[in-house]
Amino acid sequence: MSLKNIVRELKEMRDGIGSMSRRGGSGSDGRAGHGRSGSRHSWPSLWAEQQQQQRQGQEGPQHQHQHQGRWANLPPELLLDVIQRVESSEATWPARRQVVACAAVCRSWREVTKEVVKTLEECGRITFPISLKQPGPRELPVQCFVRRERATSTYLLYLGLSPSMNVENDKLLLAARKVRRATRTSFVISLVSDDFSHSSSTYVGKLKPNFLGTKFTIFDSQHPPDAVVLPNNKPSKRQSKQVSPRLPLGNYNVATVTYELTVLRNRGPRRMQCTMHSIPAECIQEGGKAPTPTGTIQSLDEPVSTSPSTKGKKVAVEFSSTSLSADLSGPACSNETPLVLKNKAPRWHEQLQCWCLNFRGRVTVASVKNFQLVASVDPSLNIPAAEQEKVILQFGKIGKDIFTMDYRYPLSAFQAFAICLTSFDTKPACE
Amino acid sequence: MAAAADSSGDGGTSSGEKTIVLVSSDNSARFEVREAAALLSQTVRRMIDEAGADASGDGITLPDVDAKTLAKVLEYCNKHAPASSSSSAAEAAPPAEGEEDLERFDREFVRVDMGTLYSLVTAASYLKIEGLLNLTCQTIADMIKGKTPEQIRKTLGITSEFTPEEEDEVRRENAWAF
Repeated sequence: MSLKNIVRELKEMRDGIGSMSRRGGSGSDGRAGHGRSGSRHSWPSLWAEQQQQQRQGQEGPQHQHQHQGRWANLPPELLLDVIQRVESSEATWPARRQVVACAAVCRSWREVTKEVVKTLEECGRITFPISLKQPGPRELPVQCFVRRERATSTYLLYLGLSPSMNVENDKLLLAARKVRRATRTSFVISLVSDDFSHSSSTYVGKLKPNFLGTKFTIFDSQHPPDAVVLPNNKPSKRQSKQVSPRLPLGNYNVATVTYELTVLRNRGPRRMQCTMHSIPAECIQEGGKAPTPTGTIQSLDEPVSTSPSTKGKKVAVEFSSTSLSADLSGPACSNETPLVLKNKAPRWHEQLQCWCLNFRGRVTVASVKNFQLVASVDPSLNIPAAEQEKVILQFGKIGKDIFTMDYRYPLSAFQAFAICLTSFDTKPACE
Repeated sequence: MAAAADSSGDGGTSSGEKTIVLVSSDNSARFEVREAAALLSQTVRRMIDEAGADASGDGITLPDVDAKTLAKVLEYCNKHAPASSSSSAAEAAPPAEGEEDLERFDREFVRVDMGTLYSLVTAASYLKIEGLLNLTCQTIADMIKGKTPEQIRKTLGITSEFTPEEEDEVRRENAWAF
């Protein structure tokens, strides 16, 4: 039973019964033990429990010490009201961290907060780490910037138009580090900038090039949810939240990025193609829906190993081995028609004597790394021209070691960032 | 404590305005208030509609609201009640006091300890007094802003009761968010 249903039922019951007490009779119990903090109890039986307590005369005057336990029993509709107010007023980072704080208070607060926060596509706001794996909004892109730290081969993705004056205000979304191994380099992607271990709970995925540096595979540590594709109907509200399949953490191949030279070879821009194995092409149709994971990032849903010291982390180590053979190198989802993104071909500007793309002011320095990706679709899918023109991912330089990255539906921040990282690693064969 | 109600049917103020008697849950207090103020509560309004004229005679008992809280709630209602006493106009007429004056009153009104705030928000919810409910919920929301999870728990006397797995999730989220 969703919490919203519980809240509605509770309201209806209260209205029907009228003057029956709702408040917990034994307020001296400070623990959230009445079951209000979890949705596991059914509300009607909890109500009956309280009525009994009323009759036993446990309702007493409001002693000061009793308030300690009462807030834990705040009626769900009031908790919902309060958290909704917090969520709607703290819309932008860093203030938005307040919403994450509410979800960390206790179980009932966590449940209500998760119920209140909508997906990135629905509300346009990044809230929890899982937002980084959800498709962006359809209309206005999410605008980010990337800072490259050459000394440590680290790439940092921040939310925002460009670096702010006070670095404290920049919200770090993801971090990547180029890791050099015996035969080749790869990029490890993490939630934090100081931990790139595969077995860490902050590990999110990785990027691996082929030997020539012309093809890259993007791996997600979580299996993407199955797509819900409804090309002919509007997706119902109930289907807008999908639970990620309960599979162990590993390295799931979610996309492939390839680079090619055109006939102009080094004198012309490269041709880029991204095959998104986890996103069906139909999702950009009217009413289509890209896979949207909910729940938490890195949730270890499987019962973990018996070893008490390593607990959940052991599962991650077993699957995300750094050796090539452990990667699930086939596409993660059996997808008939994966979405293919291609870069928009720049136009040769005779006067300026350079290749140009309209970045709408978001890219200001010429660089071979700059690109715009649009969907490349089969005519049989009936995607309107306007939709095909939409720039789904845009990446480009604005200064020394600073780049902007704008992405929108159906890509997620993780996918967009990984694709942009490939731009940093292409080899001489491509340049 | 307000004066006991006139037991001969509808009470009235000296100006002849209709009054309603509200009784606290433990029967320890009876409050006679202007009808316009009492009708700010949708619950009271419905009780009167359903129970008929009888309700006003003996006073309306509110089993969910104790004396101290009821006194405080009625302080709000009296301040926010419309000037006109006719019940049909109660919703449409503006309050007797000025806007700024009311805002100042509201700000002071919610400067109470956490126990009282809890009583007020739950009473406002039960009595269905929209203005008071908005005020108290907003006060709680404002109180939360700027606080870490631990500070929120401390202020409200809540224990987290997360499982170790949930603790891990929460820690990871907060490491990323803060």
